[in-house]
Amino acid sequence: MDAVFSGLASGFQVALDPFNLFLVLAGCFAGTLIGALPGIGPINGVAILLPIAYSLGFKPESAIILLAGIYYGAEYGGRISSILLNVPGDAGAVMTTLDGNPMARNGEAGKALSLSAVASFIGGTFAVVLMSFFGPALASYAIHFSPSDYVALMVFAFASLASLVGSNPVKTLLAALIGLMLASVGIDANTGVARFPFGIPDILAGIDFLVVVIGLFGMAELIHLVEQQAAGTLRTLKIDKSFVTMKDLAFTKWTILRGSVIGFFIGILPGTGASVASAVAYGAEKRAARDSSKFGNGDMRGLAAPEAANNASAGGAMVPMLTLGIPGSGTTAILLGALLLFNITPGPLMFSQRPEIAWGLIASMYIGNVALLIINLPLVGLFARMLTIPQQFLTPLIAVLAFIGVYSVVSNPHDLYMITLLGVFGWFLRKLQFSLAPVILGFVLGGLFEDNLRRALSISGGDWSILVTSFNSVILYALALLVVVVPILVGRMRRGRSEGESPQAPS
Amino acid sequence: MKLLNLASAFLLTSFVAVPAFAQDVDRPECIAPAQPGGGFDLTCRIAQQGLEKQFNGPMAVTFMPGGIGAVAINLFNTTRTDDPNAIVAFSSGSLLNMATGKYGEWGANDVRFLATAGTDYGAVIVKADSPYQTLGDLMAALEKDPASVVMGAGGSVGSQDWMKAAILLKSKDVDPKKMRYVAFDGGGEAIAGLLGGSIQVYFGDVGEMVSHVGTGEMRILAALSPERLPDPFADVPTAQELGYDAEWPIVRGYYMGKNVSSEAYSQWVEAFKAAYGTDEWATLVKDKGLLPLNLSGEEMDADMKKRVERMAGIAKEAGLIE
Amino acid sequence: MADRIFAGVLFLVAIGYTIIAFTVIRAPFQYDPLGPESWPRILGIVSIPCCLFILAKPDVSSLGLPAKTWGRLAALIVMLLVYSYLFQPLGFILATFAFCLALSLMLGARLVTGLAFSAGIGIVGYFVCTKLLELNLPAGVLTIFR
Repeated sequence: MDAVFSGLASGFQVALDPFNLFLVLAGCFAGTLIGALPGIGPINGVAILLPIAYSLGFKPESAIILLAGIYYGAEYGGRISSILLNVPGDAGAVMTTLDGNPMARNGEAGKALSLSAVASFIGGTFAVVLMSFFGPALASYAIHFSPSDYVALMVFAFASLASLVGSNPVKTLLAALIGLMLASVGIDANTGVARFPFGIPDILAGIDFLVVVIGLFGMAELIHLVEQQAAGTLRTLKIDKSFVTMKDLAFTKWTILRGSVIGFFIGILPGTGASVASAVAYGAEKRAARDSSKFGNGDMRGLAAPEAANNASAGGAMVPMLTLGIPGSGTTAILLGALLLFNITPGPLMFSQRPEIAWGLIASMYIGNVALLIINLPLVGLFARMLTIPQQFLTPLIAVLAFIGVYSVVSNPHDLYMITLLGVFGWFLRKLQFSLAPVILGFVLGGLFEDNLRRALSISGGDWSILVTSFNSVILYALALLVVVVPILVGRMRRGRSEGESPQAPS
Repeated sequence: MKLLNLASAFLLTSFVAVPAFAQDVDRPECIAPAQPGGGFDLTCRIAQQGLEKQFNGPMAVTFMPGGIGAVAINLFNTTRTDDPNAIVAFSSGSLLNMATGKYGEWGANDVRFLATAGTDYGAVIVKADSPYQTLGDLMAALEKDPASVVMGAGGSVGSQDWMKAAILLKSKDVDPKKMRYVAFDGGGEAIAGLLGGSIQVYFGDVGEMVSHVGTGEMRILAALSPERLPDPFADVPTAQELGYDAEWPIVRGYYMGKNVSSEAYSQWVEAFKAAYGTDEWATLVKDKGLLPLNLSGEEMDADMKKRVERMAGIAKEAGLIE
Repeated sequence: MADRIFAGVLFLVAIGYTIIAFTVIRAPFQYDPLGPESWPRILGIVSIPCCLFILAKPDVSSLGLPAKTWGRLAALIVMLLVYSYLFQPLGFILATFAFCLALSLMLGARLVTGLAFSAGIGIVGYFVCTKLLELNLPAGVLTIFR
């Protein structure tokens, strides 16, 4: 424990150097802007700005601190377009749209932005604190999570998402199946066989998750706006000056904490990232809520849970990278590449060989989280003002932002057609009262489920009992059962007890 | 009505001609046929930094993911066959895809190989406390029962990671179809699987082990290289010297469209030749975790085509293609 | 009715998907018992009755949009497709200018403000993204900007 404190002390010395402090702030600010663009999340933000950071010729610790700032900033920025425009800023911000955007439409954009900033801050800080004290132990837990455990985790994720079932269960199921089918397109990760490629090389490696998200959410929203505008039902929003209050925070404090814990533990597992973490946190929160009727219509808990979770998972993903040198996600793979670029090898040796970098980076995460909160809260009013842009200009702007986001990363015009077509499809789904969340979750979870199931079976040589023989998996199956059964039992009990009473206000 | 006029004006603009490509290398560009951050990105960064002094303007790096390079090779066989400015990064994985027909109709003869960036070699890796302390131990177990050892790597069946395992088994006439192979999504996850005990043997690259040498958590049983590698791998035996005829080089380099003018092609070749002679190039390649391999021009083109042919032979033997 | 048409289309897609899963997808050999084909087969088989259920019991009868709205939406889709088509060859500035102008005018902007807005988004957007954020956007025919 002493080593942690002295390490942190030396790290803060590095990170609080005026120049490095400036870089953290600059990185956070640039990251927020980049993250706010739909489609450009932390992965691409860091990848795009990495060569610049390198070419500026900073000392390694300064450059890494700048990149970490960008990483965190982009993670924060993703929520802005989710809340204001109903267009997810990146893959981890999909669940944020579900309650964040309704809040904005109810005239609480300022509150949604500030509450999510606070939730992100708590989630992010929670992750950094756990990482600095228990990093190596957590990393060893993460790598012992075997493919069969992932299968159990996916079962748990699906179970907690049972709460997303809407008024028509068949439509919810079909929506999830559509997501699963979309995810099955492309080269199979186990045998290398191409599935449903239809001779189009652009989808040979599968449909990119971002393209699906921007298409189904962003472009569908655009079509929806034009439809409302044509029908004359579009309301112009007034400038709202709402802001998060202590009462709101007291109401969501356990939600934020639960979201942080779920997000962090899913984040440290290699292969699962912010999108899985925020989905599970949202589903579990809705499932655990006494009165979940407001979820989807602007419930603060539905906003706070995924935002705390996706920032906690961003921190969690750094754990195996820093302590073992194993990148668990796309973004950390790029940060790992960045470290290697400066001839620093992440892993256990980094803490003894280059402590100024290891601890400087960790300290800069503490500072980055505080900086982001300080940067973001005053900007809430400014961002919220975006909604008062007249519709005839806001609508084209959404399209342009989506096109920039999708094109600038990979420069493939094919993706532009894809988002347009998926947008039309998503609009029909919306009009016909399918919810889009199950499509996205099917897409994210389906591939992970199938790949890990088959991985587990290749390990066991075809013996299915491998799925239930580890401690982790048994616990997860039990949790999955609890998540499905308990709310039903509790609901029945409560109905029995409070027959005839008006539904309780959430406490 | 106003709307209609506008729409037609909008459509009309689509007939503005696309400017023709210039015939000289005036805007050098390296295309990484993947998302940012991977090996192709790295290959392009080597060209970008290594050729900085050879061209007037800075070299741009663009990304063209899709089908592990299929989108890029498709584009360079349809519209940009003579683009003098663009080079495309490739690796042994791309050559294997050409050999096994994964790129559809496009094969090794549909591109013009230009130069190499460097090379890496396959490696057989186990956990430090593994029961297999030498390659001999491992091979003895595999020869007795190929399904007794759980092996894995970061690529699917038929990928170059799988090929490393397949050629090693082939060297002792063990059928690769009988082994137990687990495909992970990338080397990072596979290493996690190895350390976590899900798999017992990991087929990786020597280069990625740089960051793990010295931690004492993993050991390299053998490198799939023709001869011993420089430090920090000087103590690692090659599979060859242990009596297993298994070699798997992972070459990284660049190709161009097949109709590129010979002036432009030789301008690029000269640029690479000039860069190969400098110390900066050598450090650059080393920093990126590669070993030097300086081949360019026609000689390199012929060498790559030979490699593709050899891979097609191995793939056929292993039962991947008919 | 609307539900039925949509479910009918999905039904056909599901049938096609299932047929491909059962006939085309096959690995030369595999190490897991499921192979690449089992999962798509399951998805296909489950999705078919779902589509049939909606065909039998639709709950959205019509989209309730007047013909004028359909026209607007069709115009929007055409604009988006043309924008996608022109994005690379024409370049970000010009394509964005044309797209924003067309869409904002359709949504009721006045010509002067529409022109100013579209030009602003095209030019400011391009320079903010390429110079400030180092994003890659096509210069297209305006080659002097690259």
